[in-house]
Amino acid sequence: MSWEKEVEELRARQRLAQQLGGAARVARQHAGGKLTVRERIDQLLDTDSFIEVGSIAGKAAYDDAGNLVSLTPASLVMGRGKIGGRNVVAAGDDFTIRGGTNEGSIRDKLTRVETMARDLRLPLIRMVDGSGGGGSAGTMDRDGHSKVPGYLGWDLVVANLNTVPVVGMALGSTAGLGSARVCISHYSVMVKETSQLFVAGPPVVNRLGARQFDKNELGGSQIHTRNGAIDDEADSEADAFARVRRFLSYLPPSVYELPPRTPPQDDANRNVDWLIEAIPRDDRKVYKMRPIIEALVDQGSFFEIGRHWGRGVITGLARLDGWPVAVMASDPHHYGGAWTADAARKVARFVQLAQLFHLPVVHLADIPGFLVGLDAEQSATIRHGVAALTAIQQTTVPWCAVIVRKAYGVAAAGHSNQSRYSVRYCWPSMRAGSLPLEGGIEAAYRAEIAASADPQAKIAELRERLQRLGSPLRTVEAFAYDEMIDPRDTRKLLCEFANLTAPLREAGPSSFGYFPI
Amino acid sequence: MTAVKIPTEVAGTVWKIVAAQGAALAAGDVILIMESMKMEIPIEAPRAGQLLELRVAEGDVLNEGDVVALLG
Repeated sequence: MSWEKEVEELRARQRLAQQLGGAARVARQHAGGKLTVRERIDQLLDTDSFIEVGSIAGKAAYDDAGNLVSLTPASLVMGRGKIGGRNVVAAGDDFTIRGGTNEGSIRDKLTRVETMARDLRLPLIRMVDGSGGGGSAGTMDRDGHSKVPGYLGWDLVVANLNTVPVVGMALGSTAGLGSARVCISHYSVMVKETSQLFVAGPPVVNRLGARQFDKNELGGSQIHTRNGAIDDEADSEADAFARVRRFLSYLPPSVYELPPRTPPQDDANRNVDWLIEAIPRDDRKVYKMRPIIEALVDQGSFFEIGRHWGRGVITGLARLDGWPVAVMASDPHHYGGAWTADAARKVARFVQLAQLFHLPVVHLADIPGFLVGLDAEQSATIRHGVAALTAIQQTTVPWCAVIVRKAYGVAAAGHSNQSRYSVRYCWPSMRAGSLPLEGGIEAAYRAEIAASADPQAKIAELRERLQRLGSPLRTVEAFAYDEMIDPRDTRKLLCEFANLTAPLREAGPSSFGYFPI
Repeated sequence: MTAVKIPTEVAGTVWKIVAAQGAALAAGDVILIMESMKMEIPIEAPRAGQLLELRVAEGDVLNEGDVVALLG
């Protein structure tokens, strides 16, 4: 006796499930510039590595004799696979089945995949394409009663946020719970033109007012990768998958392991000669920080996250002598590197990521302070600022600060965690203080200036004296800061930091958890 | 090629106009320099093209996102 017949019945059902919502709906998906869920899984994962779970879960219809007539697969495809040879868990909405909604799904698949990632301690990638499960007016018709909102498995979603790397991908119009599933993640990406994120889409919103939106006007990537709802914008789905694969390459499979070192591809002792003139001597002139980062980390290893929002701060993952690290750096092209409310939110989010996955932090700081002015006050800069400083204060991961230029005010206290030993360097271009001299002199010496016969001359005299005192050589002479270095030696010292602190990284849950700020 | 609107990414004052209207620009060429947080922050051409229109003058006070130029 053999079980061939049953296996063939299983295969037949799998073939039916592979047809998704049927040829016409698949064609419509392609016509919209989007891949199907199975094509996405193929692009995301290493070739032939997908092991599906729930491959024939769906709504089956049988005839009176008990023969299968049809099978509509669940609108969520899930399973395990590999990325770069390492195990991950992936789940994707099938938009060709009832628009990817949970109504077309077997509810348990949504929670099962979260449980699988949590308990196998593997990274989870959610490919969201639809409203993803909150229900609709049609739900009430079907059930015969209204429903109090809730999300089965939200506890798992939150638990995963503190346990395994979670990636949220918006790969079509995502609304309501669908967009929530994208954002409750450690890395989120959406595709230009073909994906949107909404609380509610145009059919709902356009009824409310005179202005009529199309879906990209209301929730396109030009909005949500500028406001921080989504970390990154991809040019295509292929680009989005490449970013996700790269993001995960720096991380451990879960908080219970450490980020893996790769064989060093670059000389740890490499001098970077042009850094001696990277910072303009004129305080008013800006410079480009990204080439400095690229020059310091292992060649080609910098993966920027969140390029289009909170732009005064550049954040990303990189390698130093093969060790994964989290890099944070100021961008003087955006308000001189001042921390805006958005920049502070970005710092808080990024520092939590570093802490959660045991990534040592390198901070290349040029912080003239928090942004000042009416807009800054209206956006609650100080409130978001203290959130960032609190996150930094609570970190226990190794920390290396390099003050490349300005360190002024409360925001600049975030250059390092001062409650413990951080490795702290400055370049000769450092200028530090509670307030920049400009404006600061007038504030601090108001009476003296007012009493002077020639106030302007008095200000000039004070400025000259204070500028002399402002030399960073005097700061390090007084040991008010640890060490001044030749900028050309910075890479060597950062690699030393990475090797020095690698054994100090500790696996386990974060001491303060991850909040999707 | 469709003309692109060039916004200022920082609020501040137009400190210096660098490129002339009608000029052919390469990607990265400076169009004008804003003054913000006491620093000179250049606004650069995101791609090569002709500077079709300059919408601001030196001394203008701008909000974040205001369009300063049109690049053809």
